[in-house]
Amino acid sequence: MSDERSELLQGTLEMLALQTLALEPMHGWGIAQRIQQFSRDVFLVAQGSLYPALVRMKRRGWVKTSWRTTENNRRARYYELTVAGHRQLDAERVSWARASSAVNWVMTARLTPEVS
Amino acid sequence: MSILTDIVERVRALLFRGRDEREMDEELRFHVEMETAQNRRSGMDGVEARRRGLLALGGVERTKEEVRDARGTRWVEESTGDFAHALRTLSKSPGFVTVAVLTLAIGIGGTTAVFSAIDTVLLRPLPYQEPGRLVRLYQAYGRASAPRGFVTPVHFLAYRAQLSSLQATAAILTYSESGADIGGAEHPERIRVLPVSADYFAVTLVPPRLGRGFEAAEENGAPVVVLSDALWQRQYRGDPSVVGRQMMMSGKSHAIVGVLPPGFADPVAGAIDALVPIDVTPGKDASNASNHYLTIIGRLRPDVTVARAQAEVDGLDRALGVQYPAAKEKHTGIEPLKSDVVAPVSRSLELMLGAVGLILLLVCVNIANLLLVRGSERGREFALRTALGADRSRLVRQLLVESLTLALLGDVAGLVVARLAMSAIVVLGAGTIPRLEQLSLDPRLLVFSLGVASLSAIVFGLAPALRAARTQPGDVLREQTRSTAGSSGQSRLSAGLVVSQVALAFILLVGAGLLLVSFERIRQIDLGVATNDVLAFELNLPGARYDSTARGALYERFARAVEAIPRVRAAGGVSKLPATGGYNSWGVQALTGPVANSRAGSIGAEERVISGDYFRAVGIPLVAGRIFDGRDDARSSHKVVVSKSTADRIFPGVDPIGQRLNTGGLDCEVIGVVPDVAVDAEGKRDSYVYHAHAQFAGDRNWALTQVVSAAGPAMTLVPDVRAALAALDPQLVMYHPMPLTDAIGRGTATRVFTMRILVCFALVALGLAALGLFGVLSYAVRMRAREFGIRMALGAPRGRIRLSVMKQGLGVTAVGVAVGLAGALALSRVMQSLVFQVSPTDPHVLVGAAVFMALVAAAAAYLPARRATSVDPREVLQ
Repeated sequence: MSDERSELLQGTLEMLALQTLALEPMHGWGIAQRIQQFSRDVFLVAQGSLYPALVRMKRRGWVKTSWRTTENNRRARYYELTVAGHRQLDAERVSWARASSAVNWVMTARLTPEVS
Repeated sequence: MSILTDIVERVRALLFRGRDEREMDEELRFHVEMETAQNRRSGMDGVEARRRGLLALGGVERTKEEVRDARGTRWVEESTGDFAHALRTLSKSPGFVTVAVLTLAIGIGGTTAVFSAIDTVLLRPLPYQEPGRLVRLYQAYGRASAPRGFVTPVHFLAYRAQLSSLQATAAILTYSESGADIGGAEHPERIRVLPVSADYFAVTLVPPRLGRGFEAAEENGAPVVVLSDALWQRQYRGDPSVVGRQMMMSGKSHAIVGVLPPGFADPVAGAIDALVPIDVTPGKDASNASNHYLTIIGRLRPDVTVARAQAEVDGLDRALGVQYPAAKEKHTGIEPLKSDVVAPVSRSLELMLGAVGLILLLVCVNIANLLLVRGSERGREFALRTALGADRSRLVRQLLVESLTLALLGDVAGLVVARLAMSAIVVLGAGTIPRLEQLSLDPRLLVFSLGVASLSAIVFGLAPALRAARTQPGDVLREQTRSTAGSSGQSRLSAGLVVSQVALAFILLVGAGLLLVSFERIRQIDLGVATNDVLAFELNLPGARYDSTARGALYERFARAVEAIPRVRAAGGVSKLPATGGYNSWGVQALTGPVANSRAGSIGAEERVISGDYFRAVGIPLVAGRIFDGRDDARSSHKVVVSKSTADRIFPGVDPIGQRLNTGGLDCEVIGVVPDVAVDAEGKRDSYVYHAHAQFAGDRNWALTQVVSAAGPAMTLVPDVRAALAALDPQLVMYHPMPLTDAIGRGTATRVFTMRILVCFALVALGLAALGLFGVLSYAVRMRAREFGIRMALGAPRGRIRLSVMKQGLGVTAVGVAVGLAGALALSRVMQSLVFQVSPTDPHVLVGAAVFMALVAAAAAYLPARRATSVDPREVLQ
C-alpha cells in the first residue's frame, strides 16, 4: 500500500489546501483526508507540516478560522477561504499549469535528427 | 495590504499567545482523535490506532513547535526570555548594577540637562516671530570702553522716522528700568515695569493675548499698562474683564489696556511684570542728543541684510552729526539680536558643554571598564556554556540584551537626574542667564538621551560579548584554572582604560580647581568699599504722592530715622551700588584749572546720586574737602563730590576743591574728593562724580538703593528698618533687603553660575574616576589572588605584596596624570578667558589635582590588596 504513496511536491501543500477549501470550509484533519482522497491515495499529507502551513496561510490573510461543530458533534477549528485566498488559488493554479506543462515538455522531449 | 495583515496577525498572535496555544492543543487533539477513530475503523486495536495517529501527525510536540514558528513571533518571545534572563542575572550582582546605573544616570542626566540648557539659550530661536530679523542698535560715545552703549532719544526718533531698512524700530527703557509698588497697604508687592515705545509690539510681533498694545499718542508716559500673564493670573486670577479697569501703581492709577501671552519675556530685559509706554518727548529736544539711555531694538525688512542697514545707519549718523553738534563723533552699530542676547554667556555654556563631554567620556570609559571586568569574570561561565553546546550568537545576543537592560535602567535613572539637574540649573542661573527660565525637558531630549544610552550599551556590551564568543572554551577553562593573572592583552586594555579615566578626571579637576581659585581671588578683590554688615534694599517713592522736593526730603529724613536705631552706624542711598556695573556714564568737562574747556579736560565719568550718609555707610573715606550736608539743597548752587582719578584727570596739579566742572548740562562746584571705587565685581576702578539727591531729585525719580551699616549681621536690622519706614509712610515698600555682599555678588552671577556647575562636575568626575579606578584595580587584584596565595605560601610578607599592588596602581595613575597634564596644558588657552588673576598652568592647582588623584588611586589599590592578602593562602589555593 505504501509503495504507491509519495511525498507532496515541494511547495504544493498550500495550493492543494487552498483548492480543498475552495470546495467547502473544512477542519485540518478533513483537509488532509481530502487531499489524500482527491489524489487517489498518491499524496499522503505529512501532517506535521499541515498545521504550520495553515497558520502561515492565515497570517497572509488567505483563510479565516472559526470554531464549529462537526457532523459528529465535535468541536473543531474550520478553515474558510477569504477573497484574498481565492485570488491566491487562481494565481497558483496558473503558475502550476505553466510549471507542470513545462515539466512535461522536458520529460517528453526527444532528440530529432534535424538537431545535430 | 498583505504585509499589513501579516503584521496585524503577528501582533495579534503575540497578544493572544495563551489563547492560541490552547486552541492549537485542542485542534491537534481533535486531529489525533479523528486519526485514531479512522484507524480503529480499519480494524486496529485502540493502542495501536492511537500510536499510528500520533505518528501520522509527526510528533505532537514537534508539530507544535513548527506551528509556533509559523506564527512569526518567536524572536520576540525569545527576546522577552533574554530580557527576563538579563534581569535575573543583573539582580544577582546588585553592586555592579548600582554602580553602572548610577554612572549612566549621572552621564545621561548631566548631558541631557546641559544639552537642554544650551538648546534653550543658544540653539532654540527667540520666542518671537522670525527672530532672525530682530536687531539691536548700540551707540559708541565718549570713551572707547563703552562701544555697546545706550542710544539717545534724539537718535531713536530719527532712526524710527527715517531708517528704511527697518520695518519697525522700538525703544525700551532698560537703563533706568524701575519697579512699581502695587497691591495697596495690605499686601504691598513691588513689580518690574518696563517702559517701551508703541512700536514694541510691531518689532517683537507678539500680540497681547487680551486687549491691545500701546498707541503712538500714549508715548508720553500715559497712565496705561499691559500686564504680564503671570501678574494677571496672580493679581486678577486670569479674569478677562480686567481690560479697561484701573490698577494703582506706586500710588498712580493706570488703565489696564492689555495682557501679554504666557511665557513672554523681553528679549533684552528678560521676564517682566508689566509694560508701560515710554515717554519720547525728551527726544524732541535737540539738547538731549548726548543723553544716552535708550535700548533700541528693530525688525529688519525682508531681504535687507544687517550690513545694508548698518550703511544706512552710518549715513543717518553723519547727517545727525551735522544737525546736532552734540551728536558728533557718535557711532551706532547694528547687530542681530540673538547673538546679542546670548553672546556674553555663550562662553560659559560652551565650557559646560565641554565639561559634559568629558563627563560623558568618563562615563563611557567607566562603563566599558565595568562591563569588561564583568565579562572577564564571567569568561569561565560563557566558556562552560559554549562547551556544553550553547549557541554563540545567542550568547552574544544575551549579553547585548543585558547591557541594553542596564542602559534602559540607566536611562530612567538618568531622566530623573536630568529633571533634578535642570531645576538646579534654573535655580543657579535664575535672573542672570537670559531665557533660562524657559528651560524645560523636551521630547527630542528624551530621544537624545535614549540614543546616548542605547549607543553606549551597544558599544560597551558588544566588546566583551564578542570576545566571549570568539574565545575557545577550552583555552579559557584551562587558563582560568591554571593562570595566576588575567591574560596580558586584557590587562593592557584595562590599564589603557584606567589611564584615560585618570587623564579625563585630571583635566576636569584642573579646570574646576582653576575656577575655584579664580572665585577666591574675586572674593578677595578690594572694591574700595566696606561691604561687611551692611544692609542694602531698594526704596521707591511713588511719583504720584512724592514730588521732587518731597522725595529729596524723605530720603534724608529716612536716613536720619534709620541712624536713630541702636547699632546702626550710618545710613544713606545711592542711585547704583558700586561694583554692580556701569550706569550713568556722562561726559564731564573741566570749566576751571589748567585744562579748562579743552579736550584734555573732557572725560567720561560714572555719575551717582546719593542721599543721607552714603559714604560712611559703605566705608568710602573722605580724602579732601567736605561731603554733602543740609546746606546742599535744591535752592543752593549745584555741588559735586568727585573721586580721586576724576580730580587728577581734569584738575591736574591743582587743588580740586572749589574748581568747577560741567556735567549733565549743569555747572557744578567741587566740594570734596573721595577715593575711586570699583565699577564692576572684578575690581576695575573708575572715575566718579557724586551728586546730592536733595539737589538732583528734580532730574528724575531715582528710586535710590538704601544702604545701612551696623554693628552685627545686616539682616537682623530688617524689622527695625521696616518699622522706621512704616513710621514715615506705611505704604512704602522695603524691596529686596539683602546683605550688601550679596547685592554686589550678583554682578558675578554668571561666573559663579559657571563655577558652581564646574565644581559639581569636577566632584562627579572625581567620584566616577575613583569608582572606575577602584573597579579595575580591585579586579586586577582579585585575578591575582592565586598568585598572592602562592607567594604568601612561599613566605612573602603580606606588607610587600600590598606594597607591590599599590605601586602598580599608582604607576598606572601616574601615567594617567601625565596624559591629563598634557591635555590640561593643551586646553589652557580655552581656560585663559575664564580664569581671573590665576594662570591656567598654576602649579598649585596642577599639583593639587595630581595629589588628589594619587590619594584616590592609593585608596582604590590598597583596599582590594588588603582584602586579597588578609585571607589564608590555603583557602585561595584550593
